[in-house]
Amino acid sequence: MRLPWQKNGNGKEPARVATDDGVILKLDDIHTYYGTIHALKGVSIEVRAGEIVTLIGANGAGKSTTLRSINGLNHPREGRIVFQGTDITDTAPHDIVRMGISQSPEGRKIFPRMSVLENLEMGAYQRQKGPEIQEDLERVYSLFPRLKERLQQKAGTMSGGEQQMLAMGRALMARPKLLLLDEPSMGLAPIFVEKIFEIIREINQQGTPILLVEQNALMALDTASRGYVLETGHVALADDAKSLRDNEQVRKTYLGEE
Amino acid sequence: MSDRASPQAPKAPSKGGSTISSWRASYRRYRRDHKWLGWGIPLAAVVLAFSYPWWGLEGPLSFIFNDGLGIDNDTLFIMSIYVMLALGLNVVVGYAGLLDLGYVAFFALGAYTLGWFGSGLFSQRDVHFLDTNAARLPGIHLSFWVVVLLAGAICAFAGILIGWPTLRLRGDYLAIVTLGFGEIIPDVFRNGDDVGGHNLTNGVRGVTQLDRPGFGQSISDATGGILPVRYTSLELRPWYFTVLAMMLITVFVNLRLRDSKMGRAWIAVREDEIAASAMGVPLMRTKLWAYAIGAVFGGFAGAIYGSFINGIFPTSFSFQISVIVLVMVIVGGMGNIWGVIAGAMLISWLNFRGLDKIGERIGSLPGVSDDFSIAKYKFGIFGALLVLMMLFRPEGLIPSTRRRAEFAEGEGQATLYDARA
Repeated sequence: MRLPWQKNGNGKEPARVATDDGVILKLDDIHTYYGTIHALKGVSIEVRAGEIVTLIGANGAGKSTTLRSINGLNHPREGRIVFQGTDITDTAPHDIVRMGISQSPEGRKIFPRMSVLENLEMGAYQRQKGPEIQEDLERVYSLFPRLKERLQQKAGTMSGGEQQMLAMGRALMARPKLLLLDEPSMGLAPIFVEKIFEIIREINQQGTPILLVEQNALMALDTASRGYVLETGHVALADDAKSLRDNEQVRKTYLGEE
Repeated sequence: MSDRASPQAPKAPSKGGSTISSWRASYRRYRRDHKWLGWGIPLAAVVLAFSYPWWGLEGPLSFIFNDGLGIDNDTLFIMSIYVMLALGLNVVVGYAGLLDLGYVAFFALGAYTLGWFGSGLFSQRDVHFLDTNAARLPGIHLSFWVVVLLAGAICAFAGILIGWPTLRLRGDYLAIVTLGFGEIIPDVFRNGDDVGGHNLTNGVRGVTQLDRPGFGQSISDATGGILPVRYTSLELRPWYFTVLAMMLITVFVNLRLRDSKMGRAWIAVREDEIAASAMGVPLMRTKLWAYAIGAVFGGFAGAIYGSFINGIFPTSFSFQISVIVLVMVIVGGMGNIWGVIAGAMLISWLNFRGLDKIGERIGSLPGVSDDFSIAKYKFGIFGALLVLMMLFRPEGLIPSTRRRAEFAEGEGQATLYDARA
């Protein structure tokens, strides 16, 4: 919790902040540290309603750290994060989930010894029991029919692609207003990568804005409407996805083209 | 057989254990086809336990629990106390996966709560509330039932106080901090006889002459004397029934917690803390609840134990108790209520009666010298049992399905016990 004399604090929690039209998430010059390591050195990004925004960059550029700053696992020391007009810079992770940001974490992090259904139910942990949860289960089943076939299976016994589907389905069970996806294509067979990105587009078309962190820059830029290129804790480039794809620097460095 | 096995069951029968696993499969099938066993077996166990004074004191089974004199004794009472303790620790260790090596602290705190609010320790005070003592004694004397609740509340408070700074630690570090806590508390009681001139614990002399449970004259009269005015050291049945009832409450709460939303959150925290947090599980609150609830049962057990033994001494609450209760939980099967009960009964019986009994039997065999005493080898036997148990059945006597899955999957590579806290 920010104290009144600290930067950006106004003594009231949570602070209402006026935002531009349509911007649901705004990172304003955030600096995040791991101990003494300065991982993010002033990152500013925005996600607007209905968009897919992607963060691309090399290993260690700060992509996952940006997500950890947003979801409260690693609070920034400077700068601020505003979600739907509320300052969430120092909000606890579970409160952030309740406010409507859910995620499919890096490495999927499903609960391996829980069944598929139990995993999905964990996604709705912050919600009250009710018919809406059943509706959302149905929605997840229609997006991922394979999960429905395996409801009672232990999640840890599924393939990597299925686990990724579960991780995304579980994140949707929170009925998010913003979905964070961390490396959804990591370690998956190409056919699964195609499928996952197809589903990402579908989720977005159903109305959920998505912040997508990816190493697979080509797929990410094809899917997203806008993108940010991170380099060693800075935003090196910010543009709409199409222009980034055509950017020579990006083509060389991230798309492997000459 | 294999096509009928449930999908969660480990597929291939482990090497050399095919007979056992086929028994297990047919037992599962039988249980599935006879749903009533789900409540029938526990009900039968409860009836057997409550009727024990009528069938167990004499007859062929009496040698199991009774001492050499063949009279009514306290073995089952102590066993029930340990079942309560083990079930309380099960919430912390089995459900939430927090390795707690200082559980005895809450047992001690519960007992000393009785010392404070149900004895002549503060003899300069004169406070009485629903007191069932025969005479109006000096000191603070609240009704025993109030003291039991107070013990639970104080232990929960202490649990939160201790847990708040320490539950941020992970695994081994938490174990060491709780170990320290378990050592500090008895020391505090040992040295508490002069806190700024006040005698709070009577030091090494301990607190004696504790209040006993009772229902008072009017309730006793109203029930035709079935509920006694005041428990005595001669008639042990009311004690036994009381501790049995408290144990049943503990079992019930354990069951409800296991199936609750909180129970699911504990499993999630145990499996993957980061993932649980990302799902919106408040980590600290969830862990603190486990710690506090475990502490409450330690407090309940401590209060009635102190009253039954009629003396509370700092030396009675040694590290050994923490360890033995943890052993009960692990040997029985972490996270499985029936396993923990079985483990607690088996180990407390061996500890307080069984080994002596077995020794007597062996000692009376022809050709065994008179000065042979198996009790001398108690800890050796215990140790050997534990080693064998961990080698051949590390998941416990009656493991929970989840724990069994954890062991099946981590075979050969994972540590035996990994408390992610």
